[in-house]
Amino acid sequence: MSDEYNQNNTPLETQSSETMSGSSGSTTDIDYVRPAELPEQDLYHSHSWITKWVFCQDAKVIGVQYFLTAVFTGIVGLVLSWLMRLQLGFPELVPFITAEHYYQFVTMHGMIMVVYFLTALFLGGFGNYLIPLMVGARDMVFPYVNMVSFWMFFVAVCVLMASFFVPGGPTGAGWTLYPPQAILPGSPGAGMGIILMLTSLSLFVIGFTMGGLNYLVTILQARTRGMTLMRMPLTIWGIFTATALAMLAFPALLVSCIMMTLDKVLETSFFMPAIIQAGEVLDYGGGSPVLFQHLFWFFGHPEVYIVALPAFGIVSDLISVHARKNIFGYRMMVWAIVGIGGLSFFVWAHHMYVSGMNPWFGFFFATTTLIIAVPTALKVYNWIVTLFRANIRMNTVMLFCLGFIVTFVNGGITGIFLGNVAVDIPLSDTYFVIAHFHMVMGIAPLMVIMGAVYHWFPLVAGRMLSEKLGKWHFWITFLGAYSIYFPMHYLGFIGVPRRYFEMYDSPYMASAIGMNEFITVAALIVGAAQFIFIYNIITSLRVGKPAGKNPWKANSLEWLTSEVPPVHGNFGEKLPVVHRWPYDFNVPGSKEDFITQTTPPSEVIDAEVEKT
Amino acid sequence: MSDNNLNNLPGGFKGMAQDMGSDQTAFKGVQWGKFMMWIFLLSDTFVFSCFLISYMKGRSSTVVDWPNTSEVFSLHVGGVPVPLLLIAIMTFVLITSSGTMALAVKYGYEKNKKMCAWLVLATAIGGLTFVGMQVFEWSKLIHEGVRPWENPFGAKQFGSFFFMITGFHGVHVSIGVIFLFIFARKTFRGDFDTGKRGFFTSQKSDYVAIEILGLYWHFVDLVWVFIFAFFYLW
Amino acid sequence: MDEIQNKEQGTTTHKIGIYLWIWGLLFVLSFFSYMVDWYAFQGLLRWSLILFFMFLKAGLIMAFFMHLFWERYALVNVLLWPMTAIACFIALMAAEAQYTVFTRAFYFFVGG
Repeated sequence: MSDEYNQNNTPLETQSSETMSGSSGSTTDIDYVRPAELPEQDLYHSHSWITKWVFCQDAKVIGVQYFLTAVFTGIVGLVLSWLMRLQLGFPELVPFITAEHYYQFVTMHGMIMVVYFLTALFLGGFGNYLIPLMVGARDMVFPYVNMVSFWMFFVAVCVLMASFFVPGGPTGAGWTLYPPQAILPGSPGAGMGIILMLTSLSLFVIGFTMGGLNYLVTILQARTRGMTLMRMPLTIWGIFTATALAMLAFPALLVSCIMMTLDKVLETSFFMPAIIQAGEVLDYGGGSPVLFQHLFWFFGHPEVYIVALPAFGIVSDLISVHARKNIFGYRMMVWAIVGIGGLSFFVWAHHMYVSGMNPWFGFFFATTTLIIAVPTALKVYNWIVTLFRANIRMNTVMLFCLGFIVTFVNGGITGIFLGNVAVDIPLSDTYFVIAHFHMVMGIAPLMVIMGAVYHWFPLVAGRMLSEKLGKWHFWITFLGAYSIYFPMHYLGFIGVPRRYFEMYDSPYMASAIGMNEFITVAALIVGAAQFIFIYNIITSLRVGKPAGKNPWKANSLEWLTSEVPPVHGNFGEKLPVVHRWPYDFNVPGSKEDFITQTTPPSEVIDAEVEKT
Repeated sequence: MSDNNLNNLPGGFKGMAQDMGSDQTAFKGVQWGKFMMWIFLLSDTFVFSCFLISYMKGRSSTVVDWPNTSEVFSLHVGGVPVPLLLIAIMTFVLITSSGTMALAVKYGYEKNKKMCAWLVLATAIGGLTFVGMQVFEWSKLIHEGVRPWENPFGAKQFGSFFFMITGFHGVHVSIGVIFLFIFARKTFRGDFDTGKRGFFTSQKSDYVAIEILGLYWHFVDLVWVFIFAFFYLW
Repeated sequence: MDEIQNKEQGTTTHKIGIYLWIWGLLFVLSFFSYMVDWYAFQGLLRWSLILFFMFLKAGLIMAFFMHLFWERYALVNVLLWPMTAIACFIALMAAEAQYTVFTRAFYFFVGG
């Protein structure tokens, strides 16, 4: 330990680069920014093709690698959802979809979408690309570990996909993998399938721990001069809090996976009670299935916030830039993100109201669940107030932001229904739950991802995406997704159960048949519409309008790189020096309608900027 | 304002607020690698906490009697059963290795290469001894019929939790021992004095790496303190 | 605490005495923990003594061997506040275990 920040005794910068008078440390110098505490990062430079494109240590390349891998798994998940919908809407149409296969599709769709698509995309994809750029660093603090983390994720995906091809196929236990059924022969894939799933999850956790260390240390300890925590874009706050949650929640998943693997492989009885299977008494005994549920949801609830918080952060930035207005109540938005993150560890058993756990727990968890709704609602109000009387550019990005707000409010409200114990009991394990979590975790964050791609594609590729195709993509996706999930609320109310292979011959479910057909058709149309998006991306890479520097006229540092797309080292010779927050849009008295973070106060002396 | 001296910063809560509100770094004077290790240890604490919580839940809800740990873990010395003797020796060894590690960090920062290197080596040997004793304990119990899926002394879960928790801890100790031997060699060679670039990461070596490894090693000792209390003593 | 300023290296270390004292204290506490078992204390006394010595040892290791005593307050807070989530988990799982053993006693032995 040392009492000098600078551990290596190399000379530090002692002057702000914007000093007008040439004196340093003068209290009348309005452009003064504290000198650098640390020497410049010792950046790794690749020398071979393999270390430049395959085992690359540059966070931008790693970010794209995560993005592409995650999107690939997402497409697999999307195809699985089409197969599920085909079975539900037109039961005898595809004989290949047996009950066994259906449950396997349900399970893999869920696990892929939640963990391998959304988490990897937000943290690995957006996190890696944007964090160093937005905090003003040249790269992540541990580039080698960052590279290893991607390849761990890649191996985890390979192991997961391998489970499709093993005898018995992938596990069909539901993405929640509840024991004892998950490892007993009654469930599909109870052989190699479940083992590969558990192995893949463990590898994923190890990889994301490595990645998470990078994101946290970079954000906390490697910001550029002038970049305080309260001057960071909300995108970073969202990803940062999500990463902190990941570091603390994934351990519970790892532990539950290890214990379930031991139950399967070594016939231990951590989760396995005494069981009679088809007349035969098994060797298990004394274990507790509800313990798995507690461990799983201790991970599982923070996990959904790991998906939601980056979405919250990103959408705040997208709205702010495309409405040319500062995000309303930035400080409270930050505290809301942090508060939601902290509280998310105390609400897990609202997923377990009907599990047979200690009955008194319902009181505690319903209370904390309703409390966590408060900061979440606060954020929604702030987004809406940001849009009020703003100079809104109704482009594709803004449309996706508006779509996010609508679907998130819808999904959030149904969450209040489910958060109350008594109301949850008839709704649990019905399509109401499916509607709720798809709205709030599927559609809303997906809207943000799409909006974010339209927003940052000009930076990453140097070209604009087509607005016309973008608008077609948005409207079909938004209206289509609503057509899929809104009717499901009604299906849930009449009691249609989830994870059912078919509707059977029950009288009240006959009314659901027409609805299911409608939903299936909508799902297939929305699925097809994504090809517009993919086509847009692929063609714009070649023939898209060149973006130039900062086409959206945004303020944050990622748009202020020396070259577009940004190259290794990000900012050229000199690191940026930050003087303000990234939300100085339409400031009274300013010549332009935006003031970038690096603009020194002396250049905007007439503007009534907030002190940030 | 350009003073980088930690001693001149306010302490306590006011200092924390100022640190958090400042630009560049939130944790003054904490090198990146050291902070990374702390976060990793926080995450690993959650892993072991989940294991121990599961153990607590399993043991508290068993209707079959839990084995008497004093008897199961006793060693026979000259025909007299001494309860928890092996565990006591293992605790002694691990705490000693923690002590040598703390001293190694001190001498490393004082650039005393020889003392640092010998102390890191002593820590490594202590760790190796611990692992050896753990392996001996495992073989003794397996010989007596304790298996992950059942055991002759009481509730099935005893063996399951025992092997899983001590196994996980043992793996952590073993990884630490490997790194300790590697770092002992690096210190003897003078890599930390010359700042030689590492093989994998290509980053310059520095004595802070000894402190980082030390944090990991103390964590391993900490986990043992908890396992000792909850599993063997309780 | 006495600090040695290593001017050339720009680091601060501490006198060897501190480490030896803590080392000794840890042995003494381990010995006391062992005595709890040797003298076969039972019930609340046993549990509270075990926990007391355990937390004391853990605290000493964290404060002095891991240097937290000399680190800035911000780091200490960031490391310790997440433990509240663990404490909540412990409390709830203890309650769950109670409920489980109650249902087992009730349904297996009394008859459901």
